[in-house]
Amino acid sequence: MRLSLEWLAEWIALPDPAALVDRLSTGGFEDVEIDSVGPDLSGVVVGRVVAHGKHPNADRLSLCRVDAGDGEPVDVVCGAPNVAEGQKIAFAAIGTKLPDGTKLKRSKIRGVVSNGMICSSRELALGDDHDGILVLDPGAPVGAPIGDVLSSGGRTLDLGITPNRGDAASLLGLAREVQAFFGGEIAIPETQPPQAGAPSSESIRIEIDAADACHHYVGRVVRGVSVGPSPEWVTQRLEASGLRSINNVVDVTNLVLLELGQPLHAFDLSTLDQAQIRVREAHSGEKLVTLDGETRELVPDDLVIADASRAIALAGVMGGAETEVGDTTRDLLIESAHFHPTVVRRGARRHGIHSEASYRFERGIDREGVRRAADRAARLIAEIAGGEVAPDGVEARGVAAEVTEEISLDVPRLNRLLGTSLDTLEVSDLLARVGVACHGAGEGRVVGTIPSWRNDLHGPHDLTEEVARVHGYDRIPTTDPVGSLVPVEMPTAWQRVEAARDGLVAAGLYECVTLPFVGPGDLDRIRLPEADPLRQTVRVVNPISEEESRLRSTLVPSLLRLVRQNRSRQADQVRLFEVCRVFHPRGDGQQPHERHQLAAVITQDAEHRLWDAKNPPPLFFQAKGVAKRVVKELGYLASFRAGAIPPYLHPGAGAAIEIGENVVGSVGELHPDVVAGFEIDVPCALLELDLDALEGLALATARFSEVSRQPQVRRDLAVLLDRDQAAGDVLAAIRETAGGDLVSAELFDRYEGKGVPEGRVSVAFRLVFQHPEKTLTDAQVASATERVVRMLAHRFGGELR
Amino acid sequence: MDTLEDIERRAREAIAAADTPHGLAEVRASFLGKKGSVSELLRGIGKLAPDERAQVGQGANATKQRIEAWAAERKQALEAGERDKALDETGLDISLPAAGPPEGRLHPVTRVTRDMVAFFTSMGFSIEEGPEVETEFHNFEALNIPADHPARDEQDTFYVEGGQLLRTHTSNVQIRAMTGRTPPFRFIAPGRVYRHDLSPRHSPMFHQIEGFMVDERTTFGDLKGVLHAFGRHLMGGDVELRFRSNHFPFTEPSAEMDYACLLCDKQGCPVCSHSGWLEWGGCGMIHPHVLGACGIDSERYQGFAFGMGIDRTAMLRYGVPQIRLLFEGDMRVLEQIG
Repeated sequence: MRLSLEWLAEWIALPDPAALVDRLSTGGFEDVEIDSVGPDLSGVVVGRVVAHGKHPNADRLSLCRVDAGDGEPVDVVCGAPNVAEGQKIAFAAIGTKLPDGTKLKRSKIRGVVSNGMICSSRELALGDDHDGILVLDPGAPVGAPIGDVLSSGGRTLDLGITPNRGDAASLLGLAREVQAFFGGEIAIPETQPPQAGAPSSESIRIEIDAADACHHYVGRVVRGVSVGPSPEWVTQRLEASGLRSINNVVDVTNLVLLELGQPLHAFDLSTLDQAQIRVREAHSGEKLVTLDGETRELVPDDLVIADASRAIALAGVMGGAETEVGDTTRDLLIESAHFHPTVVRRGARRHGIHSEASYRFERGIDREGVRRAADRAARLIAEIAGGEVAPDGVEARGVAAEVTEEISLDVPRLNRLLGTSLDTLEVSDLLARVGVACHGAGEGRVVGTIPSWRNDLHGPHDLTEEVARVHGYDRIPTTDPVGSLVPVEMPTAWQRVEAARDGLVAAGLYECVTLPFVGPGDLDRIRLPEADPLRQTVRVVNPISEEESRLRSTLVPSLLRLVRQNRSRQADQVRLFEVCRVFHPRGDGQQPHERHQLAAVITQDAEHRLWDAKNPPPLFFQAKGVAKRVVKELGYLASFRAGAIPPYLHPGAGAAIEIGENVVGSVGELHPDVVAGFEIDVPCALLELDLDALEGLALATARFSEVSRQPQVRRDLAVLLDRDQAAGDVLAAIRETAGGDLVSAELFDRYEGKGVPEGRVSVAFRLVFQHPEKTLTDAQVASATERVVRMLAHRFGGELR
Repeated sequence: MDTLEDIERRAREAIAAADTPHGLAEVRASFLGKKGSVSELLRGIGKLAPDERAQVGQGANATKQRIEAWAAERKQALEAGERDKALDETGLDISLPAAGPPEGRLHPVTRVTRDMVAFFTSMGFSIEEGPEVETEFHNFEALNIPADHPARDEQDTFYVEGGQLLRTHTSNVQIRAMTGRTPPFRFIAPGRVYRHDLSPRHSPMFHQIEGFMVDERTTFGDLKGVLHAFGRHLMGGDVELRFRSNHFPFTEPSAEMDYACLLCDKQGCPVCSHSGWLEWGGCGMIHPHVLGACGIDSERYQGFAFGMGIDRTAMLRYGVPQIRLLFEGDMRVLEQIG
């Protein structure tokens, strides 16, 4: 809400602007600012004409010396007839940018240098007066910014009002807040209109059919008005609040809305069928053309104001075009009513209209202020637009609004909640400042009477907040909490996510965080068959775009998109991972299943740098290394099995990741179609782990075993094997066969090519033997090695090279 | 003929002047070798009287030992110098790039989250997580935001098929964690949240951390105390906080917290939109309706809750101008601030 600060000052004495902004900010209002309205006059200052003489070369110009308060007075050429020695004037120095955009330069006028300009009102965009310069108050301090001196009514108070405080959305409401924080008396303008002519009831009949939706309706009749433009003070105040001037009648209804917070509407009385007002539900199929020119299709849930034959306004939201006050209007009906907040809110939402009226009705108005606002508007209309106010309003009442009249507050309980030590008198006093009159009820209790405008106060907690707010949050003592020392719980899923991140970072990957949305095309591009469970996604009802219309069931598309984007930004190598949740629908209106998932991508480095290995391992094995490391960080030992891999991986370069018998993820290079689909221009490997699949799996516990002091004996075996023989199986068989003295067996070389028969490959294993207590003899080692060699020949057709 | 003194003096000079091990060997031989000065002098000893002979003989042997020692000392020095020179010549250009495993880093939001979690776990807060796809009940109704409440207008909510929504705040975890538990307890809940806001200064996804503590005596003053301590942990010991009254349906009294702009010391700058303060989050005493919705007796128990963005802290800490940069997965950005 925005309104003229000077207008507010007419209602209550204001403290200095900084204090006002600060207290309203800490007292419950958002984004509180005081702005100057009007042109940017920075750089224009108060100057004094210290000397005034004729221009040597021009009769109509004068040459002035101006003191701008910053040292030596300067010579300025002036063309205005009204300039005189001793005047305080608005002075713009060289370099000042004037409101019309021109920047003042030092210039020669008829041969004399002018060091600035003495400004007219028009040059400062303060008015149209161009006949002479703007002469300031003689008391204006030389050198002061002009904005501080001109009392043009040029400041607005701008603030955000929280949804519970509809009562504050008016001058009266803000004046009450100022009063609560700073004290003072509120001067409410006169509301009673002078009355003449026949009573209102002879011109209008009012009935409320929808008694639950309309609590109170007041109509006042004004006869013989002259509709026309509003006086300037009215338009200025409306404009300061961002409202457009329409005509003097409509403007008054808006002005009173700003003053008292009560929405009003004025009908052209002559357009009402049978001089009748009915507040009722709309008929099915009924139509209404609202003031904005839109034709609204009404439904029975809409509350309307109707005459004898048709709807003429959407109650509390917007009036109708057919009964609008226009130039030819002579007689008026002013409506001031109290509609149910929810009814107005639903109507406003349904029709997409958010008006000043609906804003206030939705938040609740002062139920006791309905009549006063009608009177005030009638009075102001008579003043501004002429006409006679008919005696007496016509009033109708529906079911009374549900209100909280009294709240009993337990002061010790309040202190226990806030950490304060206020007594009942202090509490009563603080509440009185927001209009809640209190009386003591014994045993530390006070009972507060809730004012009619505070629709947000329902229980003791609400009063507690008021006490805290008015007392000031900064005055509540800051204390350390006291509690029992109990162990901190960390969910295992949380711990797994954190361990996974650590493992991936240690493996040299960067963590990224991406949005959870994918599109149907993404799932095609990763080659998911129609029946794949990952095709089942949660659809977003109001997505950002079609390509972001699903919650992802897999992280793969998100990361592959990043690979392409980073490559297009000339990244030599992409090494990224994300750990977060993916979503699998469960149907039947249930919440989706959220699983913690890890995915990582590594691309082949496009650059070869100084220390890089001449033969870097194939990408698959780099990714396998990352997988092994992460799984170890999570507390498990990973094994890798060919086959059974997702469709986006290369069938010949992918593996399932297993822990024991359980498949927990996959690792591999990308399928060429996926590479093409995502327009990736380098070899790329992918790693995925389903972290929730680890739930319940026994951790691989590390155990100490005695470190032997005996010498190790190493034996290297180079064996010719079939090319398609999985080396891992061979290694496992070696470990089984080599006997109890084998401490390790590793594969350390693999070679095919010259010297190795076609279809065969030479694989070299290193076997390390050691006994815990004795030195092994050559014979013992030879016997174990011999056993291995025989096994290799027998089971794998292996020949020693 | 030279006296022993002459020989010693010359030997000392010659040894000091020798600048290579080879030159030194020659110098040594010229004094101690078979044809060396000392040997020659000893050869003449036979012509002397017996008592003189013994005296000269003893003197010559002492001279011989001294020259030997000087030569050995000099030899060691020359060899050490040669090795130093050799080490120098085989030295590396240590300004060449480091080798080693590639570098990886956590996302800035993860790092800030860990920092926050470390603080709160040190204060005895446990971690609790809730679903990101949430029911209207847990995201709104149980938090005292009924369907017709104007506060729902302020939340730009993503809805999904099936009637649920992407949680708009981490406050849903309050409901999830409190339901079925009996105070005392204290929890934090960090996580991703979503708002349908496409303006350039926002992101449809961001991160919040929620905290709440309930028992029989935790006060609004304690809430201020915890947040002051948290602010000092996060932003340094002299951070200044401000609590502004505000309205949230799920707390009462409610407050928004600001911290004094660290860049301009409250003088106003572009980072704080010239207000001198930066919004930090919302907090308050948990509304009795919320406690009630979780089955907790609000007459007996009370407590506070707070929630704040994580991303903004990360942005300030690493000087990231726009939140979206955090979520674009740009290696150039992650390598800088990761």
